[in-house]
Parts: sequence; structure tokens; C-alpha cells
Amino acid sequence: MYIQIRNLSFGFKNSPEPIIHNFDLNVNQGEIISILGQSGSGKSTLLRLLAGLEKPWGGTIVINHQVLFDATTFVEPEKRGVGMVFQDYALFPHMTVEKNITYGLGKLKRSERGHRLEEMLELVNLKELSHRYPYELSGGQQQRVALARALAPKPSVLLLDEPFSNLDADIRAKIRGELKKIINKAGITCIFVTHDIEDSKALADRQVMINRGKVNKVAACY
Amino acid sequence: MRMFKKVKIKFDGWSILSFLFVALLIIPSLHIFVNLLLPANENWQHIKDYLLKDYVTNSFQLVLFTGILTVLLGTSLSWLISVYAFPLRNFFKWSFILPLAIPPNIAAYTYSGLLSYTGMVQVTLRNSFQIQADPRYFDIMNIKGAIFIFTLFLFPYVYTITRAFLERQSASLIESARLLGKKPLAIFFSVILPCSRAAIIGSVSLVVLEVLNDYGVVQYFGIQTFSTAIFKTWFAMGDVNSAIKLSSSLMLIVLTILILERVLRGRKKYSYTTTKVRPLTPQPLTGIKGLLAFSYCLVVFAFSFLIPTAQLVYWSTLTYSSMLDSSFWKLIMNSLSVALVTTLLVMIVAAVIANYCRTNNHLLSKLYAKVTVLGYSIPGAIIAIGVLAWFIFLDKQLYGFHQIIHTDSVKLVLSSSIAMLLFAYVIRFLAMGFNSIQAGFEKIGTRFSEASRILGVNKTGTFFRVDLPMIKPALLSGCVLVFVEVIKELPLTLLLRPFNFDTLATKVFQYASDEMIQEAAIPSMIIITFSLLAIYFISQVETKGEN
Repeated sequence: MYIQIRNLSFGFKNSPEPIIHNFDLNVNQGEIISILGQSGSGKSTLLRLLAGLEKPWGGTIVINHQVLFDATTFVEPEKRGVGMVFQDYALFPHMTVEKNITYGLGKLKRSERGHRLEEMLELVNLKELSHRYPYELSGGQQQRVALARALAPKPSVLLLDEPFSNLDADIRAKIRGELKKIINKAGITCIFVTHDIEDSKALADRQVMINRGKVNKVAACY
Repeated sequence: MRMFKKVKIKFDGWSILSFLFVALLIIPSLHIFVNLLLPANENWQHIKDYLLKDYVTNSFQLVLFTGILTVLLGTSLSWLISVYAFPLRNFFKWSFILPLAIPPNIAAYTYSGLLSYTGMVQVTLRNSFQIQADPRYFDIMNIKGAIFIFTLFLFPYVYTITRAFLERQSASLIESARLLGKKPLAIFFSVILPCSRAAIIGSVSLVVLEVLNDYGVVQYFGIQTFSTAIFKTWFAMGDVNSAIKLSSSLMLIVLTILILERVLRGRKKYSYTTTKVRPLTPQPLTGIKGLLAFSYCLVVFAFSFLIPTAQLVYWSTLTYSSMLDSSFWKLIMNSLSVALVTTLLVMIVAAVIANYCRTNNHLLSKLYAKVTVLGYSIPGAIIAIGVLAWFIFLDKQLYGFHQIIHTDSVKLVLSSSIAMLLFAYVIRFLAMGFNSIQAGFEKIGTRFSEASRILGVNKTGTFFRVDLPMIKPALLSGCVLVFVEVIKELPLTLLLRPFNFDTLATKVFQYASDEMIQEAAIPSMIIITFSLLAIYFISQVETKGEN
């Protein structure tokens, strides 16, 4: 198994009830998983736990044989090698597209960085916009920049939080197709969260429905 | 293993630095309380038996009446301006912030000069109207005069905070009260005052703290208060012990006020449930009503800004040729350099603590935030005494060390250096830098830092590459606020400056004390100009932020 989540539990400080309760999930390498649930079901929290932005109460998270969380380990988010696209993208407003994408490539040599940037710009088809600032881009373009930024450091898994919620309905179908193409091309394992069954069907290999922090049903998509 | 990991997560550079800074901040206050346990000497016995009652009654009268009058003036003006439209309303709307640019002690000198026997008012009455008025009518150098000055130059605190509240929060409340058939005055008392209670109490407590902090006005008017008493015991009697006892008595009063503020404010904070902001549409006032509103605003504006500024400008024209020499430039350089260094120190310390509080959500970080902003509530004289006592203590401990460096070293090295003054400034004004940075952090939220950390950049890298550039406007506002406050600061500077070190504010104080009020005009005007520029800058940043 590429990603193993066992018995994961989490709750916020002031709530007595856990939001995520004994959550289990296995994901194969290269698989696209959608997590479906209503708002408040804990689906976004699950992504934050995987990314290391919240500390679970208990359980284990293992990605590619590396233990990211268990009773003795908590790997800080900057050391996890996980990519994430936020619901509102969180593009750094004071940096250009180019600077945003190369932000996570600090360890690479300058020439390699330039090379990786080119690759990413090509992947998301934004070559001519590399010197623009985020506010000069449309919603769809911003999303592609966020995607390129997350993929640039070659993360072990890509997490997407409600990838379509910020887009108008009429371009949604088009973006879905584009996103699927980009993810397939990058060949990356991907977990995304949505409340829309259509999005889930269009993108995912397998969908996991959760309710009150527990897996309700797992279904394959065809 | 687990323990080790936990410890490692908790103790990074940020937590160590924050701890260090916070410890440095509270040591002087702790020092005051430790010294409180020392046995009292005869000075203190004398003060307690004969003088303390006067200090308490005088300070209490000043606080009480200034409080009541600033609330009346501030709320009535903010109500008029937010609810009604009348001639020059937009002009008055921002011009009522301007009195904040004039430090109350400068206003006090100006008004007493204006009203003195040789001042503009009495001279005009004598020469143009042949009226020999009784000079006692024009005597403002008493408690009533001090209340008059404090009210006119501190009411903008109440005005700005209450107006901001009214504009943001009350549209639907006022409109429903209108629809339910209430008259304007009834709405004011039954809806506006109770609803804006928190805003009013918050702002009037700022006024009260300013009154307690003041030394310039009460000293000039010869009113015995805690500040003047602390100065006297230190300068005239050289008695740190009694000064500390006085400071701690005053500190008790300040703490009572802070607790009282909490209690009076109640559980509700400024905002209530709706998130939609709908501006209030002002009702036009026509005819005599409009004229009355206009005149009221004009009178307040004239007394609180126009008249004193005009007088200062006039005096400046009389004295500028003899004033502007090389020693004057030295004075400006002194003021600017201490203000710049303090601003830099405050912003660094504030940024470290604010970032620590933001990334760590536990009891300790909440405590840090509380301690950091406490300095602004503590009157300058108390901070000065605490810092002084601590630095003298340090010098005593370090004497051996001083001698190693310099064999013929004097006993007081640190406590006769500018470092002591800068240290005290940082304690006093840290709150302004900290609040600005915290507001900036709240505005950007945590998503950008999270995105950065997921991309493999650690806390410190994220702080410099993402957080700092994004809170630049807040940082700038904080810098400007701190800078101007240092330029205006008087009590701390008087008590802690090195020998022969003068700033614009201390020079104004000295000229006024020597009855050279006209000479005080130019340094006063420079202080006021800096303050006006700062007000302009911050209002620009704010309007930009709103857009």
C-alpha cells in the first residue's frame, strides 16, 4: 500500500467529540481518490491532518513506507513532501506566477530550478503568463498556478481541497477535464475533497464517502 | 523518545527569543513589587501622612471629570457626524482626529500663554475694547483648567472609536428604532449609548490612562498628582524607595481601572452577530438645526485645534530667527535618532512575539500577548522608576565586570547611558507595534504560511519570505505610530535621559518651565507636524485597506 491511514482520530480543542473518528484508508500509488461528504463531515480536516497542519489525537499515517505520524513521530509539514492546493489557492499575492511556482524549489540548483519551472509552466499551459501577479489572473488560471506550485517539488501525494468550489459553473466541466489531464500526465497519487458527486465521478478512480469522520462507503468509479 | 520529540517541537528559536523578550519586559515591574517589601523610610511616612490624600483626590478628580466630559463630547460628535448630514460634515468628520496631534502639555502652555495678562485675549480686550477684565477670569492654571485641556485634546479617542463603531454596526438598529417611532434623542439614549457601551468604555479607558500618564500639564499647572509626586521624590529627594512605593500605589489604581473596564464592558466585545456591513445613510439637517450642528462642531474644532495651532504658528514667526541654530538641529537629530532606534527595536520584538503567539495557541502564548500590551497601560513615570531601579541594581551587580573592562570605571554605567531610556521606550510602546502586527496577521490568516510550509519552507523562512512582505502595510503603520509616540514622549524621557541629552519634547518642557513660551513654539510645531503627517499616513493606509 502506498498510503496507509490507520485509526486516525482528531478533534478541535474545545469540542469533546472527535471530528475524525478511527478513520482508515488505503491508497495505491497513482490512484485518484475523492473524499465525498457534506460540510462539517471532517473532509477538509482529513487533508490538513495528512499535510501535518493539524496534529491528530491518535492513529498512524504512513506514505511510501515513511511514517509521518504515529505515537512517537510527528513530521512537520515542511518535511513531509506533500503537495496541497488550497480551496482559495493561497497564491502568494506579492510574488509573480514564476516566483510562486519556484517557491518550494529552494534545494535545487539554479539551472535545475529553471528547468523544473519550464516543465511546470508547460504542464499547466501558462508559459506566457509567468510574469503576472495572482490578481492579474482568472480563477481557472490561478488554480493552475496553485497546481503547478504544489507539483513542482515532486511531492509524494497531491491533496486538493474543494478544487472546483471557486469556479463558475459554466467553466467547471472544462476545468475538470483539464485537471484530470494534468494529474494523469504528472502520474501522481491524488486525494481530493469535494461535496459534489459530479466532480467526484468525473475525476476519481475510487470515491470514499465519509460522514461524521468515519468512512461510510467506498465505491469504484468507472 | 517521545518526550524528546515533544521538547524539540516546543523549543525552537522563536519560543526562546519570545521568552527572553517577555522576561525582559516584566523584570522592571517585578522589581517594583520586590522593592515594595523593603521597609519604608521617613520620606514615605511623611508622604503617606500628609500628601498621599491630595495626590489621590487630585488624580481622581482629573480622571473622573475628564472621563465624563470626553464621553459627552466624543459620543455627541460621533453621533452627529454618523447620523446626520449638515454643512461641512465631511470636513469635521476627519478634522476631529487632529487634536490628537497636539500633546496636552503643549496645549496647556499655549492656552495659558494665550490667556495670560500679556496674552492675546487680555491684550485685545484692553487695547481694542478698553475692558479691564479681572485676570482671575482667565486663570486656567488649576484643576478645572487641566480638565478643560485634557478634555479638548483627548476626546478624539472617544470620538474615533465610537464613530467607527456607529458606522459599522448601527445602521439597522437606528433604522428600526426610527421605524418604531422613536425620536432622535430617545434613540441616542435608548439605543446608541447602550449598544456602543463597549466602544465608549474602551476608548474612555484610553483617555483615563493618558491622564494618569501625563506629567507636563499637571506639573505646569502646579497640581499635585501621582506623576508629579514620583518626579519630586526622585529628583528633589533622590529617594527611589519612596518613588517605588508611590508607583505601586498608582499601579494599583491602573489595575483597578483595567479590571473595571473588563467588568463594565461585559461579555460582549465590539461586534455583534451580523457580518454584512451596511453604511448608515445620514439624514439631512436643514435650517436652524443644521446651523446648530455646524456651530457646535466649529466651536469644538476651533478650541481643540485651530486656535492653539494658530497661536503656535504666530509665536513661531516671532522666534524662528533666534531659534534655528546648530544646537536646534542637534535637538532634532536627538529626537529622530531615539525615535528611529526605538521603532526598530519595538518592531523586531513585537514581530517575534506576535509570530510566536500566532503559531502557538496555548496558555503561555496568550499570557505573552497580555504582558506585551500591558506596558501601554502603565504610566510612564512608573515604567521609568521600575527601569531605573533595575538598571541601578544591574550596575551594582556588574560593577566588578565594569572594572575589568575599565579599571577606573564609574559605578553607574548602564543607568547613565541612553540604553536605559531606549529600554523603557520599548516597554512603553511595544503594545502599538504588537497590536499593528497582530492586526496584520489576522487579516492575512494562516493559509499562506501553511501553503509555504507544505512547500518545504520552515517557520523562519516562511516568516521572512511570506508573512513579513504580506503584512507590510501593518508594519508601516506600527512603525509610524511608535515613531510619533517617541517623538511626543515626555515623562519617561525626563526621568531617564542621560545628562544633557535633550529631545524636542524635553526642550519644549524646559522652555515652558522657564516661562519662555514663545521659544517653545517651534519645537512644539515640529512635534505637531510629525504627528499630523503620521495621522495622514495612517488614514491613507486605512482607506487603501478598506478598498
